[in-house]
Amino acid sequence: MSTESTPATTAMSSADVHQQLGALTRQLHDSLTGLGLAAKVKDWAGELPDAKSRLSYIARLTGEAAEKVLNSVDQAKAQHDHIAAETRRIGALIVQDPVAAVAKGHVMNFINDVEQASRQVDGHLTEIMMAQDFHDLTGQVIARVVNLAATIEDQLVQLLIQTAPPDTAVKAPVTHEPYVPALDGPVVNAKDNPDVVSNQSEVDDLLASLGF
Amino acid sequence: MSKELRFLVVDDFSTMRRIVRNLLKESGFVDADEAEDGVVALQKLRSSNFDFVVSDINMPNMNGFQLLGEIKKDEKLKHLPVLMVTAEARKEDIVLAAQQGAAGYIVKPFTKATLEDKVNHILTKMGLK
Repeated sequence: MSTESTPATTAMSSADVHQQLGALTRQLHDSLTGLGLAAKVKDWAGELPDAKSRLSYIARLTGEAAEKVLNSVDQAKAQHDHIAAETRRIGALIVQDPVAAVAKGHVMNFINDVEQASRQVDGHLTEIMMAQDFHDLTGQVIARVVNLAATIEDQLVQLLIQTAPPDTAVKAPVTHEPYVPALDGPVVNAKDNPDVVSNQSEVDDLLASLGF
Repeated sequence: MSKELRFLVVDDFSTMRRIVRNLLKESGFVDADEAEDGVVALQKLRSSNFDFVVSDINMPNMNGFQLLGEIKKDEKLKHLPVLMVTAEARKEDIVLAAQQGAAGYIVKPFTKATLEDKVNHILTKMGLK
């Protein structure tokens, strides 16, 4: 049997498919309305842009964290290279003339140099550690987006079960409730929201204005 | 002496618990334990001696507000200073924490200097430093 189609049959098929899509859309609309899900679909539509901005927040935060870590590593490595070079230089001076190396202050300068560089490297290590806070902040936001996806999935499964033909047995899958933070979590758009603070000084000002 | 004070760090994210503990250590507060939620924190507070609590708010099982409430209701624990370190930035949450007796409030992300300042401020205010 040939699978080739003529332009006429293709045109008929397209019209047919278009008609079927229209019928399906109407059926879905009627089902959603009949089952009282239309309002929920509107809610999803409202939450999707929020999910989009939450995902952008995650991308921004992880990007900033990576940037911060790489910058700190670059600076720490430069300081490490400097100390390695200075160690070689002072080593050569000591081998050449140990008394002069001490008397001319080369050794003492080197010790001060190492101490200063160690403090700076320690600061960079702290910066690297602090950059890891993105795990907590993005984790809370991810939990919310996952919850939205799970809610939509759950509602669609319910719709499938309720609209399935009688002779088609559709079993509801076992779902596990993820932990969803009850509170708001990290603020994704602080500047558009007057009810939230955007930094620590605003927290301090607010508490001070209330006498705390 | 403040350096001998014992801290309890409460947060559901292990990364954040480690960060706070490391920062406390860098500030000279080497004695710190940790708990992953309010329930575990309350058990530890009731079975051992602590001087200072640093707590997140958004946690499963028992959140930071509930933990704060339990601490302030408990005759043996209510003297403990509780510093909230959280991503919750709503003004009403900040005010609520203060009204419930939180000793301080830090919004994430925060800096080492902020944590150090708040801890030292609270300790000075309480005469522990």
